[in-house]
Amino acid sequence: MPSNIALNPRSPIASMFKKRSSQSMSVMASAASYLSAVSQADARARAHGGTPTSTPALSLSSSVTASSEDTVLNESDDNADGLALPLNPPTSEQVFDTLHSEFGHCANENFRYTSAHPAGAEVKPFEEKEPPYYILLTTYLSYLILICLGHMRDFLGKRFNPKFYRHLLPYDGHAPLNSDFDSFYTRRLKARIDDCFGHPITGVPGRTIALLDRTSPDHNLTQVLTGTKTRALNISSYNYLGFAQARGGCADVVEEGMRRYGVSTCGARLEGGTSELHLAAEALVANFVGQEDALISSMGFATNSTIIPALVGKGCLVISDELNHASIRFGVRLSGANVRMFKHNNMESLETLLREVISQGQPKTHRPWKKILVIVEGLYSMEGTMVNLPVILELKKKYKFYLFVDEAHSIGALGPHGRGVADYYNINPRDIDILMGTFTKSFGAAGGYISGNKSLIDRMRLRGHGGTYAESMTPPVLMQVMASMASIMGVGNGPVSVPRPRAPSLLPSWMQLPPNMADGSQGRARLRRLAFNSRYLSRGLEKLGFITYGHSDSPIVPLLLFNPGKMAVFARMMRTRATPIVIVVVAYPATPLVTSRVRFCLSAAHTKEDIDIVLRACDEIGDVLDLKHLEGERWPLQRIFDNAVELVNMQE
Amino acid sequence: MRALDDVEVALKRTLELLSDAVASSPAASFRPTTIITGNDGQHSLETTFYKIPGSHVIARYVKSSHRNDPGRTVLEIILILFAIRTLLQSRTRADSGGSHFIQFNEKEIDELVDEWTPEPLGQPLSEAEAAELASVPVITGPNGVKPRLAGVGKQVLNLASYNFTGLASNEAIKQRAIEALRKYGVGSCGPPQFYGTLDVHMDLERDIAEFLGTEAAILYSQAFATISSVIPAFSKRGDVIVADRGVNFAIQKGLQISRSTVRWFDHNDLNSLEAVLESVKKEQRKKRSPLTRRFIVTEGIFEKDGAMVDLPKLVELKEKYKYRLILDESISFGTVGRTGRGLTELYNVPACKVDMLVGSVANTLNASGGFCAGSRIVIDHQRINGSSFVFSASGPALLAVSASEGINVLRDTPSILSTLQENIQAVRSILTRVDCITVPSHPASPIIHFHVRPTSPHSLLPSAVPHSGKPSNPTSIQPRDPPVFDIELEERLLQEIVEEALAQGVWITRAKRLRGQEYVEARPSIRLAISAGLTKKECEKAANVVKAAA
Repeated sequence: MPSNIALNPRSPIASMFKKRSSQSMSVMASAASYLSAVSQADARARAHGGTPTSTPALSLSSSVTASSEDTVLNESDDNADGLALPLNPPTSEQVFDTLHSEFGHCANENFRYTSAHPAGAEVKPFEEKEPPYYILLTTYLSYLILICLGHMRDFLGKRFNPKFYRHLLPYDGHAPLNSDFDSFYTRRLKARIDDCFGHPITGVPGRTIALLDRTSPDHNLTQVLTGTKTRALNISSYNYLGFAQARGGCADVVEEGMRRYGVSTCGARLEGGTSELHLAAEALVANFVGQEDALISSMGFATNSTIIPALVGKGCLVISDELNHASIRFGVRLSGANVRMFKHNNMESLETLLREVISQGQPKTHRPWKKILVIVEGLYSMEGTMVNLPVILELKKKYKFYLFVDEAHSIGALGPHGRGVADYYNINPRDIDILMGTFTKSFGAAGGYISGNKSLIDRMRLRGHGGTYAESMTPPVLMQVMASMASIMGVGNGPVSVPRPRAPSLLPSWMQLPPNMADGSQGRARLRRLAFNSRYLSRGLEKLGFITYGHSDSPIVPLLLFNPGKMAVFARMMRTRATPIVIVVVAYPATPLVTSRVRFCLSAAHTKEDIDIVLRACDEIGDVLDLKHLEGERWPLQRIFDNAVELVNMQE
Repeated sequence: MRALDDVEVALKRTLELLSDAVASSPAASFRPTTIITGNDGQHSLETTFYKIPGSHVIARYVKSSHRNDPGRTVLEIILILFAIRTLLQSRTRADSGGSHFIQFNEKEIDELVDEWTPEPLGQPLSEAEAAELASVPVITGPNGVKPRLAGVGKQVLNLASYNFTGLASNEAIKQRAIEALRKYGVGSCGPPQFYGTLDVHMDLERDIAEFLGTEAAILYSQAFATISSVIPAFSKRGDVIVADRGVNFAIQKGLQISRSTVRWFDHNDLNSLEAVLESVKKEQRKKRSPLTRRFIVTEGIFEKDGAMVDLPKLVELKEKYKYRLILDESISFGTVGRTGRGLTELYNVPACKVDMLVGSVANTLNASGGFCAGSRIVIDHQRINGSSFVFSASGPALLAVSASEGINVLRDTPSILSTLQENIQAVRSILTRVDCITVPSHPASPIIHFHVRPTSPHSLLPSAVPHSGKPSNPTSIQPRDPPVFDIELEERLLQEIVEEALAQGVWITRAKRLRGQEYVEARPSIRLAISAGLTKKECEKAANVVKAAA
């Protein structure tokens, strides 16, 4: 095995990538050419091996063939990596209306699971699994070495190459925009592995993703695009339900909607930017999350940063989980309220804090707090942990605080009906004062919402900063939200299994969804596939001996790497495999210093075979990088593959 | 050096004690009291202590030092106590260390918890507020120069929405957006750093930078959230910001987040700015404070009243006093200058003279999002430090594509801008003839604000306020002689005008404000947004309707 540390970004490693020239991406003229390409590819796949048991026949719904521009099928001659086409061609009974590269074909009904909290079971507290001491020691040592080297380079560089440091030093009477101290981490640590961040892409961030290849001629100072593309398996995007699609029912609705409503709504909600679509979408969202009313904002970050100041102010207290998202902190800082933090997801810490703050009152004056707002997230994006909602609601009854749950990652991704943490724990959502969420993740759109009772939301419409000053959500985004959400809810014709009464009147009459979306069957399949994939990967990694964090139903699976150097190597090794895989690596300051990690974001679009590919890759890389430190039963790879269903259904 | 040695010794002793306790703890008969008082304990303590390698040396050292200098032992003991106290304190300070902390027992806390009743999370709307919310018109169908409103039968002339360049109804842009949808889907599903940077985002950033003539640009996914992240990305605690008193709400929020020292100058008064810059200079020289970052923050065309800043003078001042300029061109980008490049084109000032040029992709280009243009260093800095860039998903690809196409349209058809200016003049020429209103906006501004001239004689207009001659206090946001006006009365009058105009088929809106949250209450006004998509005749008709209503 050659040293993987030597995988260096500055050498033109592009040669290690699988090359697909962009020139070969021509536009398919007609549906017929698409079908012929499919059958050719199918013939190739059969020639590769694996005799199919039944007659291969490709039935593609009109939605796929209607949009014949296809950048995927003819981009490569072989399909050995299984990214563009399934390795096992579908049989005559199986009908897929999605593109395999966007949304994987998976007909096996066993590979499904329902995301729900087992009734009556205790919520297990979050426990951090510790690595052996030598790992911690080497991690600290790595940082020490990096910091020392960085300072040495700064010291010498400032003397021998002052031009390079000019922007960090005062010049012409101006203080530097960024001091060398403040930017030290970015310049001397992050810059070493910059090739793992901000990779530009093109096309749909679905099951697979097209990376624009790049190299760095100058030690990651600049990145130069080489003009080629690499298609990779995408385990990095927040595409939980796989709605990132350029084809299919949602995209058709968006196109039709753009023709009817244009691209923009031109203005803030209160100043000439309110469309009937906003009202329809808000009613639908309120219905979906189970609250009286909802308010939509055109940016997820801004939903928090503009609504929280309208909820609390001076004399109020915000109690915030220590790992809450930056947008929540931003909003709290703007609000002028006092803020206290409790240990991540630690209910004892929360209760102790509540007892202290209520008994002490406001600092110095000891006046009682006007209101106390507890802000938690449904699913934490860096940890994969889920909020302990049942206990928080018990505390809420006792301590009378208001509860704000940020469901940015959990809405759509958790619960048997995809309605977030409340659905997951089977709790009445109206017990929670404010449910906030985003459309970026599960719904493949953009923006966010907050929901609550009618009078509160009406107040937010007037008092939130966004209503008065920020541009309203654009029609195409609204359309994507409505189409995807309606298809999860199954509002339309056909049987409906959701508990709440469906309301077909919530969708505009022109909005026609294909039957499997209108009756909710496709939505249910998406939810169940996501739940299976999440459990399969996190359980599989555990059985391989990796240290992972988070809940096993969480679609975010962090795998702990600890040593900073392993982050870059892990990301590069994944990206340069025969089947390239893209993942996200995160470290300080997004996580504590020692717990650098790689984060897998699963999607309903992935198939079981995709997860197998990821597991195999992790297994091999894990051996090279010495990552398997979890104590407990280990399974060989093949046993995990063969017993996936058993593994997923295993209770804690 | 001696003191350091002492600390070292003190620490060593603490360590000894600790290791001691650890070593003896597994013993079954371990009782803390015997260690200190009992003879057996003393003995076992000693033997365990001497079992530690190297302990003899330490013991000998301690003994000899005590013999040589007993005072030193006392000092060391005090040091140990001090060290322990500090260690304990730092852990508990956040919780209950303060002198204001009151000790309660559990029962008392329970009682206090029971007694506490919070205020309701949100007060229900008052009747006036509910009426205000209900009065917001809802568009049915596409927005543009002549949209249909719910409850109003016929099409109305739209002077309410931001559609300055009339691109909202551009078919070519719509077509490009649909093509982008079929290639990219809708959402980008990730923050820019984590596979959320699409090639079309990079294209739009390059298009904006080239259009303006700067080195680079960065794209945020909401215009309102742009400048409130740009300011704190650069200006930190201790840095100095000199800002206009009339800046918009987004800037106010950015200033608040930055925690910098803010000095204010009178609204759009560059003499006042110079005076403030001079006073800051004096202050810094007096205090001999180290060189800090200094910024001037203002707007190109003010969102609050449509006034326009004198850019060449501003640039001259910032260069003279060595400040950096953060200019918000949300309204002026795409609306003034020959091809809509904004204030820099209008005044023929190179865009690179503005250090951070912030603009909106939503207002003019009819997409969604905001941008900041500047030098490469300025832009790259924000890619790591701009919080709403880093922590937010990037915008939808199809909106980036429509914005790029919008820039193309502006570049190729300068007639849009001349039409816009003609329309503005047409409306203004009629409005200025109306007696009971005043127009504070600049003649070239695409937004035209007007106030009502109140009928009661004792409430004075801002221009009529007798100037006391003294400059305002730069540390306070309030000007020395704040204009006096009756918000409620004027808003009611303006709302009547709005409703009257709507009945005549012209849709206008009051400039909505977050009363009570703005630093300075803006005088109530009606804000007309002129569009190049309207014909001159339509503009005149609309202006006449407004004139009649007023």
